[in-house]
Amino acid sequence: MRYGIPPSGAMDQYSYRIGNLLVGNPENLASLEITLQGLKIEATASVTIAITGGDLNPCLNDYSAPQWAPLEMKKGDILHFRWRETGFRAYLAVKGGIDVPVVLGSRSTFLRGKIGTPLKEGAILCAGEVEDRKPIKWLGLSSEYIPDYRRRDPIRILVGPQNEYFTTEGFKTFLTCPYKITSQSDRMAYRMEGPPIEVTKGPGIISEPIARGAIQVPADGQPIILLRDAQVTGGYAKIATVVAADMDPLGQMPPGEFIRFEQIEREEALHLLLESRTRLSMARG
Amino acid sequence: MTKWSYPRIKTVGEDSVLVEFEEEVSPDINRKVRELASGIESHSLPGIMEVVPAYRSLMVFFDPFVTDVKEIFKLIDTLSKDSAGIQVSKRRVFKIPTVYGNRFGPDLKRVSKLTRLPAEEVIRIFSSEAYLVYCLGFLCSLAYLGGVPKILEVPRLSSPRPFVPAGSVGFSGSQANIVPIDQPSGFNYIGRTFVSVYNPEHFPPTLIQPGDYILCPSVSEDEARMAGERDLGDFVEDL
Repeated sequence: MRYGIPPSGAMDQYSYRIGNLLVGNPENLASLEITLQGLKIEATASVTIAITGGDLNPCLNDYSAPQWAPLEMKKGDILHFRWRETGFRAYLAVKGGIDVPVVLGSRSTFLRGKIGTPLKEGAILCAGEVEDRKPIKWLGLSSEYIPDYRRRDPIRILVGPQNEYFTTEGFKTFLTCPYKITSQSDRMAYRMEGPPIEVTKGPGIISEPIARGAIQVPADGQPIILLRDAQVTGGYAKIATVVAADMDPLGQMPPGEFIRFEQIEREEALHLLLESRTRLSMARG
Repeated sequence: MTKWSYPRIKTVGEDSVLVEFEEEVSPDINRKVRELASGIESHSLPGIMEVVPAYRSLMVFFDPFVTDVKEIFKLIDTLSKDSAGIQVSKRRVFKIPTVYGNRFGPDLKRVSKLTRLPAEEVIRIFSSEAYLVYCLGFLCSLAYLGGVPKILEVPRLSSPRPFVPAGSVGFSGSQANIVPIDQPSGFNYIGRTFVSVYNPEHFPPTLIQPGDYILCPSVSEDEARMAGERDLGDFVEDL
């Protein structure tokens, strides 16, 4: 971010990493993030894959494909993500990772920054070199490690940094009312719609660095949650930051969903973050 | 030796610290930010992932399970009290050949009208000034430039132009920029450079750093295009 480029990467980091682990990859190899529905791919050779994240009703040839487990595709097999059941984004991990160049230390595609290329119909993706033939450790992930995307827990936040820009009434509105994720939302930001948040003074500040999950409030009082592809500096007052542990569930919420925000303190947020890191460690085995 | 007034330090989320100086855009305040950023980085405290400077503030991103936030507060406090010996990079200027007006300057007429100055005069004044790079940010290493002469200060467009080609040179209020990628913008664009200021294939993706100066001397279209064949690094000089 010090060069003015956002971190980008998977919106649901947990699902993306688990997917790689399930096929025996290092966690940070490139996978495909599939949003909502529709993607259809054909294996041009045998390949081991894993599907994690939201349930987009994946179908392998004519059968429902297992998720959160390694899966073999043979040459000619077709995988189709038919429609959204729960969650919003699925992850397709491939043994060896998807072979794309590392740019600025990452394999993520960031189209605005001219990093990576958009996927078009007919594109062929290759898997990278498979480093060793260690057998896959996991036959499948036990259910305690599989998130339930039907849950509608509040999104927890830490207030600030521009606390003094918002009235007590403004905070009350923000923390008690539901906000809808509008369709003008993407990997940069979720534009929310709901009761306007009252401010003490104009929304403009001298541009400063932005943390991921920051919630800015422009003049219309409608909050905007800044995500992985968001700008790294900005000039709007920010009322709160989504806690790190809630960024993955947030990434699985589709437009149309309502969110309630819940204020917690830093100690608790750290505890939640430690819990989610521990969960990932335990899933690693 | 630089004297610090006490900066405001606060946590943001679980894993960042925001340090704020006086609420103004000025070279002096910006220098304090850069000196502190440099000081924090050279200290190499384990767990600090990144230090991002901006106009009058900076953010330290860290792993809260490797470094306690109190350590970071302590470091900032120490550096604020004694800034002697903090090295900041040498002063440099980039002289980036720019072609002004016609189809490269869609807002030149507007600026001329608003400032009541002939177009040639707008170009002459703008292109004679060296602008301080306050920070990099936005999405693709956008350099935030400051110091546009007061006589040229004009407001942003009432609604942003949806497409401004990469290399466009423009300004609004006291701020100026060279657009790094095709993007929307509400600034007033009066010229274009063909020298690439952003290249993600390189590390870092831009050679421009906070604290540098940028000059956009006026050249012909042919000269501008020829300059575009060269690297940004060919146009930098020490001050």
